[in-house]
Amino acid sequence: MKKQYSIFTSWRHFKHLFKKPLTIPFTEIFTKKNADYLNKNSILKSKKNVECSSPRVGADNLRGFHTNDWEVCIGCGTCEDICPTEAINMVERLDIKDEEGKLQQRPTIDYGRCCFCALCVDICTSDSLKMSKEYVYSHEDPNAFEIMPEALWQGQAVEEGWTKTEASNLLDLERIDMEHEDPEERKSSFIEIVRGYSKEYAKQEAARCVECGVCTGSCPVQMHIPAYIKAIWEDDIEGGLRQIYETNPLPGVCGRVCTHNCETACSIAVKGEAIAIRWLKRYIIDSAPTDMYEKILSEPVSEVIDARVAVVGAGPAGLGAAYYLKVMGYKVDVYEEKPMSGGVMRYGIPSYRLPDSAIDKDIDFIEKIGVKMILNTRVGRDISMEKLEKDYDAVFLGTGFFKPRTLGIPGGDHKDVIGAMTFLPQVRDFERRVLKLEDIDVAKSVVVIGGGDVAFDVARSATRLQMLKYGKSDVKLTSLENEDQLPSSDDELIEGSEEGIELFCGNGPQEVMIKNNKVTGLRLWKCLCIFDEAGSFNPEYDKECEQIIEGQQVYIAIGQSPDYDYIPKSLQGKLQFVRGKIAADEFGQVKDLPWLFVGGDILRGPDLISGVADGHRAAQGIDEYLYTNAKKKEASDTLKEMRLAAKAQTPGLTFRQK
Amino acid sequence: MKEMKLFLGPQHPGMHGNASVHIYVDGDIIKKSFLLPGMLHRGFEKGMERHSWVNNISLIPRVCVVEPDTNEMAFAMAVEMLAKLEVPERAHWIRMIILELARLSIHLMAYGGLGSPTGLYTMMYHAHTDRNTILNIFEKITGHRVYHQYIVPGGVRKDLPVGIEKDIHSFLDDLESRYEEYRDLGINNPTIQARINDTIPLPAEVVWELGVTGIGMRSAVNKPYDLRKVKPYARYDQVEFDVPVAPYSDAYARVDCKLQEVVQSIGIIRQCLAKMPEGDVRVPISRGQAMRWTVPKGHVYACVESSRGEFGYFMVSDGGTNPYRVGVRGASYPQGLLGIEKYLPGTRLDDAALWVDTMGVCSPEIDR
Amino acid sequence: MTNSMSNTEFVTNLVESKFKVLSTEVLDKYQVSFEVKKEDVHSLLSLLKTSGWIQLSYLSAVDWPNDNEFELVYIVFNWDKAVHIQIRCRLDRETASMNSILPIFPGCKYYEREAHEFFGIKFPGNPDHEKQLILEEWDDIPPLRKDFDPRAYSDRKFSKMEYKNDFVNKNGEVSKQDARTKRYDDIDKLRTGGKK
Ligand SMILES: Cc1cc2nc3c(=O)[nH]c(=O)nc-3n(C[C@H](O)[C@H](O)[C@H](O)COP(=O)(O)OP(=O)(O)OC[C@H]3O[C@@H](n4cnc5c(N)ncnc54)[C@H](O)[C@@H]3O)c2cc1C
Ligand code: SF4
Ligand code: SF4
Repeated sequence: MKKQYSIFTSWRHFKHLFKKPLTIPFTEIFTKKNADYLNKNSILKSKKNVECSSPRVGADNLRGFHTNDWEVCIGCGTCEDICPTEAINMVERLDIKDEEGKLQQRPTIDYGRCCFCALCVDICTSDSLKMSKEYVYSHEDPNAFEIMPEALWQGQAVEEGWTKTEASNLLDLERIDMEHEDPEERKSSFIEIVRGYSKEYAKQEAARCVECGVCTGSCPVQMHIPAYIKAIWEDDIEGGLRQIYETNPLPGVCGRVCTHNCETACSIAVKGEAIAIRWLKRYIIDSAPTDMYEKILSEPVSEVIDARVAVVGAGPAGLGAAYYLKVMGYKVDVYEEKPMSGGVMRYGIPSYRLPDSAIDKDIDFIEKIGVKMILNTRVGRDISMEKLEKDYDAVFLGTGFFKPRTLGIPGGDHKDVIGAMTFLPQVRDFERRVLKLEDIDVAKSVVVIGGGDVAFDVARSATRLQMLKYGKSDVKLTSLENEDQLPSSDDELIEGSEEGIELFCGNGPQEVMIKNNKVTGLRLWKCLCIFDEAGSFNPEYDKECEQIIEGQQVYIAIGQSPDYDYIPKSLQGKLQFVRGKIAADEFGQVKDLPWLFVGGDILRGPDLISGVADGHRAAQGIDEYLYTNAKKKEASDTLKEMRLAAKAQTPGLTFRQK
Repeated sequence: MKEMKLFLGPQHPGMHGNASVHIYVDGDIIKKSFLLPGMLHRGFEKGMERHSWVNNISLIPRVCVVEPDTNEMAFAMAVEMLAKLEVPERAHWIRMIILELARLSIHLMAYGGLGSPTGLYTMMYHAHTDRNTILNIFEKITGHRVYHQYIVPGGVRKDLPVGIEKDIHSFLDDLESRYEEYRDLGINNPTIQARINDTIPLPAEVVWELGVTGIGMRSAVNKPYDLRKVKPYARYDQVEFDVPVAPYSDAYARVDCKLQEVVQSIGIIRQCLAKMPEGDVRVPISRGQAMRWTVPKGHVYACVESSRGEFGYFMVSDGGTNPYRVGVRGASYPQGLLGIEKYLPGTRLDDAALWVDTMGVCSPEIDR
Repeated sequence: MTNSMSNTEFVTNLVESKFKVLSTEVLDKYQVSFEVKKEDVHSLLSLLKTSGWIQLSYLSAVDWPNDNEFELVYIVFNWDKAVHIQIRCRLDRETASMNSILPIFPGCKYYEREAHEFFGIKFPGNPDHEKQLILEEWDDIPPLRKDFDPRAYSDRKFSKMEYKNDFVNKNGEVSKQDARTKRYDDIDKLRTGGKK
């Protein structure tokens, strides 16, 4: 039964008459700016001026108006993509410096649409976009509600409101683990170390990409990275393969050993681990069956343009040039001194990083479209440069840096002091059973000089040979640079150490110790600094800090040098050499010798993919040089399209190359 | 006397959003009535299909203005069911705190709302003042006062800010100390009692016919049919609370149950604050960046006990980045549409607003 | 509380013993879903109602244009044996009609009317189901069908607000964004499809 109450019970509420009200006074709502505006336009009904306006401060977490620090912002545009209300628009700002890992654009926000959900803040790759505690804004002009956030809000520094935390973060900052062969097992064989992603893992890794395209500009051939990553995520291998071949005819190789500048630039790397772009590319190539390759080119290319091009050297640069020239409709012959095409890929990089099968898959396709490989033919010995000049309309040189560089220290000319590019080709020949284990002279303990990737290739190959020969390994590596500044990639350092290579970093070699005409070790001095004040290479040592490391052989991996013997002296006289490289314009065309193009290590270097880029640019240059004068040039529609595409995809120079 | 057609609304009929009740009266007795919804139709179900799983969190709370959190919870639960996600323990407790604070706020507001059809506006002022304090707390926790976008699939968006427990406790203590005052002002006030006793009763048989849930049902069938008890979600099985019931559902009984629930919610929040463990508050739906999250195929229905009854999300996923279909069961759909059509006729004109208020008819969730 | 696991078992046994169920899924201890043939829906719902599932929680549809079908879903609940049951059946999309369940669950009245308005499914037996409910003066295909494109609709119906601001700064250079967009578009054409 309901209790009966007196009519007066509710009267106790009168006591509230004397209490402080809980509401927020009108005058405390507005910012100074808004208050002035209201006063000026006499909008307030009460005819009272809003005077000492001290706006109520929002909570610490408040999702108020955005701020965006332009110095930190990389212009990736992820905020634009996630915004559920389509309030964000990326706007081009060429007044911002064009840099690696950044795009010249910044977001604007339409506050007529924004719902203040902060998803843009939670997904910001650089954490530059934040929200402030400001929540009051008014203006008579509707256009003033579209705002380009900057570090200051309305020209004033404001307090931070909602910012990203670990829980609210919407990016996936951790890479999907890649399976590697176990160090103890792998060091006794040349089996490929990185196993490659399974479909499920590849899709998960691909799902981390925000499709911003920041990486593209740092890739020497400007691959369509976000596009093919998306193709993986959507399980469209064929589409991905097509997109890859637009810009890179050596994807299987690059998917394994590319220096991946793109990953350094990746916007996810600002706060986390870069997308494994290289391994994703490899995934597409590894999972594309051969018959899918045939579908990529809808029509076999038969030369239609009456012009012939000779390519010297079947390294990445030569192959790149040959591929794009072929696609553009030229007849291309590639001359290669060695019995197999590929250059350093075949004869330098060890097969635990790059097995022959991967190289074959890429090169077979280049041959399949009609590039002719003339192997075992050294230009300058089996065929002369003059003949090439006469028989062909243009010549491309991509002969690389194949000669070992020597070290001018006492004992450096001993027969047990071996250059990297003498040793590594032997290793590869051993892997493909051209040489037997007995044929290769690897001592029980060796010292490697050098801190780059090549030094690790030598050291890790020596380890494997020692394991096979003697059942145990003893490899020491010494470099001028300290361990944290080694020029080699982190992978090499980590994997090399796992395989038992001893590091003696930060030391300079002074003398190869020889006793009874046998190498016994290497004398080192501590290296104080590598470059002098002018910035040129001039190491300084601490003689007091000396050590001798033992070893029966010394391998030198301090860089390679070119071999220009094949170029006749008369022609050499017309070339300009800058630190061993041949001077040429952006497209590799040599000044005053319009028929001669160069690329790869002898033009720019330093890696495989830069070689491919040089080849692609040279193809474009050669086309411009030859096409107008060619006698026969009417092309089918398909070829026209292909020519157009190949030219549209010609890469520009990257930030580093500029 | 001649029959006459009147419109209740579309301005807020008892503060529940824009909807219009068309009423045919003879004198002041309702002869025929029906709700004309649609003024707040924003195409949410279609919109949800067109937004990704993560983007949807900016839409979901807007389905019901006064009680966004139940929507967020039901949506999150549905996604979690599809994706078979384990929500971190701490997130469950935070969610309960949010949901019960929301329940307090809406019960107080509805109680205050009773002031308008009964003409006692003081109630409304008091209720809104307390709601303001709750909104301040929400602002601190979630970053927003009304549309919190805080309970998300996988947990909650951020951990509680440091020191918020103190704010919550002091609010609860204050509210508790004024609880009797609240009752005296409204429900114990003989004037109000005279107005709501025996007004628009809802017989038990009718409940099933309509499909009414929540307080409307519990006060009619006298059974603790509360989803938090019957099929506990979050960690409601680990807190103690009673479900107020009544044997006879008139306007008075419904308001009374509402007020009793306030006491229960205060108790639940206190228990949560005491029992809540430390730890993570969120797991992602799947690997990858949020725009590429996918949810496995399936059909699920997830529901929570809102202040007005069973609030459910029916969700279909085709394995893609967006929900394939989301259906929202607004808690007050039955009493708002069929209820008004079938059970207002025969009552007095001025009771219509009391039905709308005490049954918690909420037009945004009917329209969606 | 009763043992919930046995609740879902109870439901599954009850339904599977009497009906030919196309697929059963126990979603958790509080929810079971059954896909049945259209013809079985009414008798199944009656059976469930007499077994305690007296509350119709929800009724709606899903459009599967690729199968040329609509899927109807009925969700019922039993407060004493806490299990939500989803009953789903498929209808032909062209003829889209399903006898009303009004005699079993009177609460379906507005749900069916809404399903008609948003999908175009007819419910013979429900007197008012063809009256408009939420969409006043609607002049397009039922909007929750997958082939209804709300963006095209609003572009057609409403004017767009264009801002007059110019934040672009090209610094006197040629736009790089345009070239990038073109590259993206070109490269997109090389895609062959694929599924997520
Ligand atoms: C040990 C080692 C490891 C490396 N690892 C990597 C790596 O992991 N990733 C990476 O990106 N880069 C790596 N590089 C660098 C990369 O291999 C080179 O930058 C790249 O191969 C250069 O390509 P290229 O086409 O200019 O020349 P090369 O690859 O050097 O090819 C030149 C080709 O021309 C042929 N040739 C030379 N003279 C003649 C002639 N007169 N007639 C006919 N043929 C001739 C040679 O036989 C050879 O096949 C490595 C280099 C070395 C040495
Ligand atoms: S806060 Fe939300 S709605 Fe506003 S710009 Fe950011 S993502 Fe868009
Ligand atoms: S790989 Fe990295 S930089 Fe490139 S598009 Fe994806 S997220 Fe952006």
